[in-house]
Amino acid sequence: MGYRLTTTRFDKYLTNLSETFDIYAPVVQKGKGMYSDTEVVGYGKITCFDEIVFDKKSYYSPKEVFYPIRETLFYFLNDELKEAPLDIRPIILFVRPCDINGIMRLDTMFLENGGIKDYYYLRRRQLLKFIMIECTEGFDTCFCVSMGTNKTDQYDGVIRVQDEKILFDTDDEKLLTSALEENPKEVFTPRFIEENKVKVTIPEPDLVTKDVFEHEIWTEYTQRCIACGRCNTSCITCSCFTMQDVKSSDNDHLGERRRVWAGCHVDGFTDMAGGHSFRSKNGEKMRFKTMHKINDYYKRFGTHMCVGCGRCDDVCPEYISFSKCINKLNDIISEGGSND
Amino acid sequence: MSVNRKVIAKNAYRITKTRNKTALRIRVPGGHLETKYFPLIQSIAEEYGNGTVHFTTRQGFEVPDIDFECIPEINVKIKPLIEALGLEMVVQDGGYPAAGTRNISACIGNRVCPYANDDTTKVAQNLEKAVYPHDFHFKIAVTGCPNDCIKAHMQDFGIICVTEPKYDASRCISCEACVKNCKKKVTGALTMKNYTVERDHDKCIGCGECILKCPTGAWTRSEKKLYRMVIMGRTGKKNPRLAMPFIKWATEEVITQIIKNTYRYVDKYIDRSLPKEHIGYIVDRTGYKVYKEEVLEGVVLNQEAKVAENIQWSGYWYNQEENFK
Amino acid sequence: MINPYLPRPYTLLNITKETEIDYTFKVAYKGSLIGGQFMELSLPGVGEAPISISDFDETSLDMTIRKVGRLTDQIFELKPGDKIYMRGPYGNGFDLDQFKGKDLTVIAGGTGLAPVKNLIRHFIMHQEEVQSLEILLGFKTPQDILFGEEIKKWADQCPTYLTVDQRAEYWNGLTGLITKHVSLLNLENIKEKTAVVVGPPIMMKFMTLELLKQGFLEENIWVSFERKMSCGIGKCGHCKIDETYVCLEGPVFNYIKAKNLLD
Repeated sequence: MGYRLTTTRFDKYLTNLSETFDIYAPVVQKGKGMYSDTEVVGYGKITCFDEIVFDKKSYYSPKEVFYPIRETLFYFLNDELKEAPLDIRPIILFVRPCDINGIMRLDTMFLENGGIKDYYYLRRRQLLKFIMIECTEGFDTCFCVSMGTNKTDQYDGVIRVQDEKILFDTDDEKLLTSALEENPKEVFTPRFIEENKVKVTIPEPDLVTKDVFEHEIWTEYTQRCIACGRCNTSCITCSCFTMQDVKSSDNDHLGERRRVWAGCHVDGFTDMAGGHSFRSKNGEKMRFKTMHKINDYYKRFGTHMCVGCGRCDDVCPEYISFSKCINKLNDIISEGGSND
Repeated sequence: MSVNRKVIAKNAYRITKTRNKTALRIRVPGGHLETKYFPLIQSIAEEYGNGTVHFTTRQGFEVPDIDFECIPEINVKIKPLIEALGLEMVVQDGGYPAAGTRNISACIGNRVCPYANDDTTKVAQNLEKAVYPHDFHFKIAVTGCPNDCIKAHMQDFGIICVTEPKYDASRCISCEACVKNCKKKVTGALTMKNYTVERDHDKCIGCGECILKCPTGAWTRSEKKLYRMVIMGRTGKKNPRLAMPFIKWATEEVITQIIKNTYRYVDKYIDRSLPKEHIGYIVDRTGYKVYKEEVLEGVVLNQEAKVAENIQWSGYWYNQEENFK
Repeated sequence: MINPYLPRPYTLLNITKETEIDYTFKVAYKGSLIGGQFMELSLPGVGEAPISISDFDETSLDMTIRKVGRLTDQIFELKPGDKIYMRGPYGNGFDLDQFKGKDLTVIAGGTGLAPVKNLIRHFIMHQEEVQSLEILLGFKTPQDILFGEEIKKWADQCPTYLTVDQRAEYWNGLTGLITKHVSLLNLENIKEKTAVVVGPPIMMKFMTLELLKQGFLEENIWVSFERKMSCGIGKCGHCKIDETYVCLEGPVFNYIKAKNLLD
């Protein structure tokens, strides 16, 4: 059972929730597009229904809301280290099923891999509640159905928007407020997209051998990829980061250590002190990312990392399509994996 | 036959090398036109001309091989196009003014080009409204970015659309894509200090490349549209030269006012003994200081704007062919 | 909740100049360690880097560090008594037990000697724990030799071969790339022998190939990888090779595993 709300009623509900939560959703960021006079859809704080963008995919994923691009880990003053305080309120995130599944992938990396929980990730993640945006149509580059990430039950609330009509359901006690309960009830079972325009076939992980590392498919990407890193920064599941130490400009004894997002497609990712680095060719970077997303992660955790949100396709300035790459790889592997 | 050459030239027609034949010129401000007008241009070319049309360097059409006596008839036919182009305001003698201040040309701008910092056609059209028609021979062009595809540097007034990049350090991953690109392709205005980019505003030319290169949207565009204007570039038989920067980080309002004031300045200083005198030579004669004073009079500069203290134009003189001696 | 990223201050006890650009820093430390593990070493405000533990005892650990950048430049300015920040140890290291009772050959190139130093020292001191011990070491020039005095002592205890890449003045020892000198090793009963190979990526690649050519069995070769780990705990992604995280499953790998780790 859910609730049927008008936008006015929903705004009232959001206002009510805002007393406890900061609410983030895909919003239009006017003039913030890369090109002049363009907008971009990104995650931002909202206060009312009309701000939420339902008909477009966000350019960047929602991960920046709870995994900041730059995050201070601790400050130091002389010999004293002081953990960076967490000064945020609980967060409600409007997200699609693919992104919820993506966040589960991040959870695995940050909270399971290596057996130690990532303190900084966890302290923000604990404050997160999901309102799932029902997604039955998808977008041109989505391939969530192929990845099995079109569905999830890992949400705290769910919203359907259809012709000015809002259906909302939750069984979370924090979300179940009087501003919601005063609305008429209506049967609401969330639906999920059953077919995307783009379909991928993931090569059977057991069949992926090192032979394919040498395949000329990667040479093509060496010629095409410019290593800008947009596929990493837009990806809901890319989790890599690098440490940075900074001193205050006017006090040598004061400063901070932070971590910032890093990406395997960006030059310098593998640089070691002393000058050695790995995967200098951009095709090798593409191979590394591809394997991580649809092979390596699976071998560790039993699910594929990629959730098929298609953002890497959307943002690539060189029109490199990841779904196309997966399918090409599958063709190569099912044909035996050699260059001929 | 009797033709008032002055009137003809001021209007959309020209004297050609063929006796009794003229050519119709259609200016297209900003160089962008709805294709629905093509049949009209085609029919005039086929009915009155020789079935050909020339694309002019200033982005107009020139329909050649037309009899002078057909002018009134063509003027009636061409009216919808002239109106659509916003050129209808002075329809005298059944024609419309074309000469003097030339068509304001523009690169493709941000309607198509990723590098463009503005809708150059719109800027050209706005400017056209402010200065058209005018007898004085001004060449103006608008280019979307400092790549200057329209060759703004060859104009009396070259308007280069720029943006003042805004940096949000909290979104920066220190990948240095912007820094490396600026150093390689532009002026090296960006440096990385403590993993954070610093922009040298004096070195920055507002091309917006950093915004295009940024994989996280740490760089975004200024809300305000700003322009750099280069002035007094020219070709011709005496002293061809590139235009030089007169003002940077100026608003559209400011550059429009400066161009308008230049008409006043020309009116005051032009050598009327000559058939026509190009502005650049007038500025050479009066000196930059006088020019600057006259055209900035009454102009309220926006806060960001900066005017050149002095200008030394380069170029060469045809009468000093040093390289051939 | 434990914050694994907060380093703790430790006192620098002693600094030994090994070469012009390699110093060994002895730090007061109590806790269990395994040679070949690494610490995330840092100076707040300057940076943090993974540094392998070259040796240790009950009260201290050694890190032999090459001056190669911003952080190490600063570390080289430190004096005994100064504070240095660490978190760790991370990684598996060389499990001594798996080498006990073996015919052990330790082969190290350049700074690759640091992560195996404890291993060598242990079996030099406890030769009864191995069937035999041989050491083959290579450096670029005589000036690059690490632990020179100790190497001399090792040579008294077991067959120790030391080569420099190129002929040099005042150098009477072996010259030529380390891979050229594999023939000096006792290659009898080779299928039973165990080798530890640590050095620059190129050296490890060609040395392991050479050992295999000579007849070493893949499962008897051990290597240690160097990567720029930012976290040490399997999160940052920098050391990932295929499905393997060097900081978690390495840096020490058996060749059976290592041969399939392709960057």
